[in-house]
Amino acid sequence: MLKNYFKIAIAVLKRRKFFTFISLFGISLTLTILMVATAFVDNILSPDYPDYKRDRSLYIRRMEFQNSKEGWMNNSNVSYYFLDHYVSKLKQVDKMAISTSPKSSNAYVRNKKIVIEYKYINADFWNVLEYNFLEGKPFSKKEIDNAELVAVISKETKDAYFGDEKSVVGKYISADNINYRVIGVVDNVSQILGDIAGDMYLPYTLSREVSGTNLMGSFTAILLAKSKADVPAMQAEFDQMIKKVPLPSKEFDRLYCNADTYMSRLTRSIKGSATDAAVAKVVSLCALLVLLFLLLPTINLVNINITRILVRSSEIGVRKAFGASSKTLVYQFLVENMILTFLGAFIGVVLSAVTIKLINKANLISNMHLSINLTVLFYSLIACLFFGLISGVYPAWIMSRLNVVKALKG
Amino acid sequence: MFKHLFKLIWNKRNQNFLFLSEILISFLVIFAVFSYLTYYYQNYRQPIGFDYKRVWAIEYGNGELTKNRDSLVMFYDLLYKSLKSMPQIEEVSYSSGNYPYADSFMSTGLTQNGQKFDRVSNYFVGADYKNVWNVSLTEGRWFLPEDAISKNRHVIINETLKKAIFGNAQATGKLIGDFEGANKLKVIGVMQDIKADGDFSPVSNAMFSQLDSNGLSDNHTILLKVAETADATFEGNLYKFMATSMKSAVEIRHVDEMRDARNERTYIPMIIFSIIAAFLIINVALGLFGVLWYNISKRKSEIGLRRAIGASGASVSYQLVAEALILATISLALGCFFAIQFPLLNVFDIPSSVYITAILLSVAFIYLLVLACSLYPGRQAAAIHPAIALHEE
Repeated sequence: MLKNYFKIAIAVLKRRKFFTFISLFGISLTLTILMVATAFVDNILSPDYPDYKRDRSLYIRRMEFQNSKEGWMNNSNVSYYFLDHYVSKLKQVDKMAISTSPKSSNAYVRNKKIVIEYKYINADFWNVLEYNFLEGKPFSKKEIDNAELVAVISKETKDAYFGDEKSVVGKYISADNINYRVIGVVDNVSQILGDIAGDMYLPYTLSREVSGTNLMGSFTAILLAKSKADVPAMQAEFDQMIKKVPLPSKEFDRLYCNADTYMSRLTRSIKGSATDAAVAKVVSLCALLVLLFLLLPTINLVNINITRILVRSSEIGVRKAFGASSKTLVYQFLVENMILTFLGAFIGVVLSAVTIKLINKANLISNMHLSINLTVLFYSLIACLFFGLISGVYPAWIMSRLNVVKALKG
Repeated sequence: MFKHLFKLIWNKRNQNFLFLSEILISFLVIFAVFSYLTYYYQNYRQPIGFDYKRVWAIEYGNGELTKNRDSLVMFYDLLYKSLKSMPQIEEVSYSSGNYPYADSFMSTGLTQNGQKFDRVSNYFVGADYKNVWNVSLTEGRWFLPEDAISKNRHVIINETLKKAIFGNAQATGKLIGDFEGANKLKVIGVMQDIKADGDFSPVSNAMFSQLDSNGLSDNHTILLKVAETADATFEGNLYKFMATSMKSAVEIRHVDEMRDARNERTYIPMIIFSIIAAFLIINVALGLFGVLWYNISKRKSEIGLRRAIGASGASVSYQLVAEALILATISLALGCFFAIQFPLLNVFDIPSSVYITAILLSVAFIYLLVLACSLYPGRQAAAIHPAIALHEE
């Protein structure tokens, strides 16, 4: 039976080529846009090199002092003192990775100017994150404690600074008039992981910021729990600790600092505040935008489908006169619609593969690689079914109510 | 004629419900796109107000410099003279970190006659700041060394802030209160607006104060106007010179590159948004075309009858196009009702002129769209031979 429907569907689609074209155009491009957007969101949310232990991690980024009466506030990354004195003493924390936000320095080599973004990190940074070393090795606690002038650089920096040299371990790279000895080269990190990506990694003991008792500074941290199940306990312990941290001056009366999961960290920076992670808000906002975007193509498809059915009204009238039940006709129509939608989806997948390749080549966000993986395909399948059903139900209902006599009369 | 057509269509409104809703939603989408584009276009049209080309910003750390105030003043004075003497450097000025296109925002509040003005960009500038950027004053004068030792702090405000506080009156010589209201600031000049946040952002309130010796000890930025001959080799040497003098990390940034990065933040989402909107509209256009074509082909006998009685082809296609346009008008009336809420409620604090322009453009666009989609089917219908049309039934 299904095979017959399939044959009829193809014949029908070939009959009115213009309408088929309109439907396919609408479905395939809508799905292409949806798939590229899904690939983008998937790239941001799912664990990406080198941050593979995301489900066991909490992220500390900013601290805020507030004066609730006057409304002033001070907002900044946290300091080394805060992380060392308060956070490292938490029992639930298995390892803590510390790094500064990237600072820029210029290097002038071979008549070119290179911008090198460097970060100060601790020894556990290499244990929490899984960097891929193309050459050499990371620096250890001993080298950090001795404040040795060693550096790990990214592949991009190596190519830009040293050119075509095969091995650069042991060579010197100069930044801010200081010569660092290269001891390792790592694979590039996508700029989407802005807190972790960097061109050069240096021991934190070389930073001028590690002394003093300021709570604010330019560091961020990643806390690793022993297992995924321990994360809520780690977060509770962190929140308890924050409540006991003394305020630095009388100017402010509230202190806020959050150890967030990766998702909360994102939503907090998009629409949240010091007290509100805004996960539900951002997710529902995104869902609303997607629905609004889908509204116009769906209505358009419904319109086209009704037109296609009405064009065939005499055929439907004949079949009804011969005794076909409404159910059979509706079923056949829905199958036709699904076939059309899947055809459009197939074209959409091909188009989005091409688009993603173009986007990756354009390198709009440095080192970001979008890909079509199973998650993306799954969501597009759902969107496809949604599309097909919604655009088919209303016209099918119209068709089942066609008066036989009127339809036969044409 | 129109009343007659209106009545016909009103009777068939249930049949045309989908058509109407599609036009309505298309109008809302087009209104959103045009508001967005108009807002940025209006901002783009404002004059930039300053010369950003060949300006370099040097950002340095000052942790290793002497803490003695007088030695520090001498040090910075010597540095200024050394830089100015380099042939490739034309102008030199110290500045606070929030110079144009920098990702830094420093603001303060002002009070005048009980009214509070907040989010006033607070710039601290050196004596030659005006020469580095080539800005002009519409009133009053630039800072002189004597201004540093006056009872009330001397400030220069921009046109936008002047209009907000003083309206059309002269601002030079008047006093305004700072954010607590206690201390008074004296306005000695009014500067032309500069688009310091990029070409697509509106100008906000701004106030300029002199960078005195107190401020210098906390300063991290020098602005340079360089000559055409300043190249990468010179920049390398300048970098070494600065790093050695300041004994700290130094970064040299080209302001025109910073401007490009800033502008990119606006026009890349704009381009993506427009591409998606263009796709949606092509979709709608094709759909409307198909639906109109079918509706007209359904009325072949009616058209054939009119032609047989003596109607000209032109009048037949005119009637069909007019019907489509009237359907659009019904939808647009409802759409305008929703759209007019935006300027009335002052949504997003965007000036009403943006919304009004967007509404007019969207209405015109929808009419053009419906006209284009109904013209071809209409003409096809008019080309039907009466005999053939009547024979079909």
